[in-house]
Amino acid sequence: MDLLTTSVATVESAGEPYTVVALSGEADVTNSGALHEVLEAELARQPRALIIDLGGLRFMDSSALHVILRANRTMDRQGGVLALASPREPVAKMLRLTAADQLIPVYPTVEDATAG
Amino acid sequence: MADCLALRPRATDGFRHIGFFYRSHGEYATAVAGFLRDGLVAGQPGFAAVPSARVSLIREALGADARQVEFADMTEMGRNPAWIIPRVLRFTGNHPGRRVRYVGEPIWTSRTDAELREATRHEALINLAFATENADILCPYDLAGLDPAVVADARCTHPLLLSGGRQQKNPGYAMPFLIPTSCRLPLPTPPHDATSHTYHTDLSEVRALVFNHATDAGLTVARANDLVLAVSEVAANTLRHTCSHGTLEIWHGQYEVVCEVHDDGIITDPLAGRRPPDPRDSGGHGLWLVHQVCDLVELRSDSTGTTVRMHMAVLHQAVAG
Repeated sequence: MDLLTTSVATVESAGEPYTVVALSGEADVTNSGALHEVLEAELARQPRALIIDLGGLRFMDSSALHVILRANRTMDRQGGVLALASPREPVAKMLRLTAADQLIPVYPTVEDATAG
Repeated sequence: MADCLALRPRATDGFRHIGFFYRSHGEYATAVAGFLRDGLVAGQPGFAAVPSARVSLIREALGADARQVEFADMTEMGRNPAWIIPRVLRFTGNHPGRRVRYVGEPIWTSRTDAELREATRHEALINLAFATENADILCPYDLAGLDPAVVADARCTHPLLLSGGRQQKNPGYAMPFLIPTSCRLPLPTPPHDATSHTYHTDLSEVRALVFNHATDAGLTVARANDLVLAVSEVAANTLRHTCSHGTLEIWHGQYEVVCEVHDDGIITDPLAGRRPPDPRDSGGHGLWLVHQVCDLVELRSDSTGTTVRMHMAVLHQAVAG
């Protein structure tokens, strides 16, 4: 079984489409390249809103964070919005300690992200 | 040209890092309160981070002026000495464009040997981290209680000394090295019964090993996860920056769980992971996280490789993130 699995879906909220990339397992330096490719493929479609659902992640390291920060810069450039949703406590703490949560909005659930 | 220079605002004297060796509470209160009060008179915000018992000494001596000074209990704020520089940078950052005064007492008698080494290193690194800051930093040392070797190191880490109410240049500063020798010696050997593990690319296995050992030794799940993050970040550096494997050793005693990672990598920046990273940076978060989540981190790096020893006390609560 892969350490990190990803799935992509589009959800609609109030008539607006949101791309949701759901991660589960453990995101670290050994699979940050694969994560980068998944996110790049979605960014190439120029979505207006991209939500990364972290709910299934047991662990995330700074390599995965850097991939997310790069995706955030690309979204900024493209005029879109990136959001993070449903991090478990160890991941949420890591986002706070790096102040990444000051740069990228973090929501308790995907539904909150689409409402926000 | 000369006129232009004359019109410039009076140059500030940049950064001053002053050691102060006290023998009595009276001497302490007078000197520290005087230092902070001189700053207040000059419009300079003050911040004192000292062990809580001495916070009250300073408050009493300052009287009503104490309300204008920020205080912190150094035994919490500086439990891990690597937390101090970011906290003080936050204080200076809260007062942009103003000269500030900071009293920091990171060394007290009940510190462990490992903590004393890191607190001494912190004192030396202040000279690098604050070189361009507009600040006076006063560091009191308890001459009566501290080991003479600790005091000797403090004489090496402060460019100025406060004595008899006057600041004087310290001829012993940075002699023979900016970082005192006691902080550069090899770490004590791990115990014989330490669990040893060699990793190549399977960091998930490393994390599971650390989590199980840490919870078995009595760490809460939250603090075990902190240690897992720290070890995983250091091990990730092995994969990022070296072409070979790394080794992990774990052991615990009555009071702490310790993880040590060794690899062939070399870390040359003495302030690596000790300054808050900009979240927009695409690097430099790994060692920052290691220092933030652990109770104490010791790092040795030379041409033979890098060793990072991470300590987690069994009794403390998780650090709020």
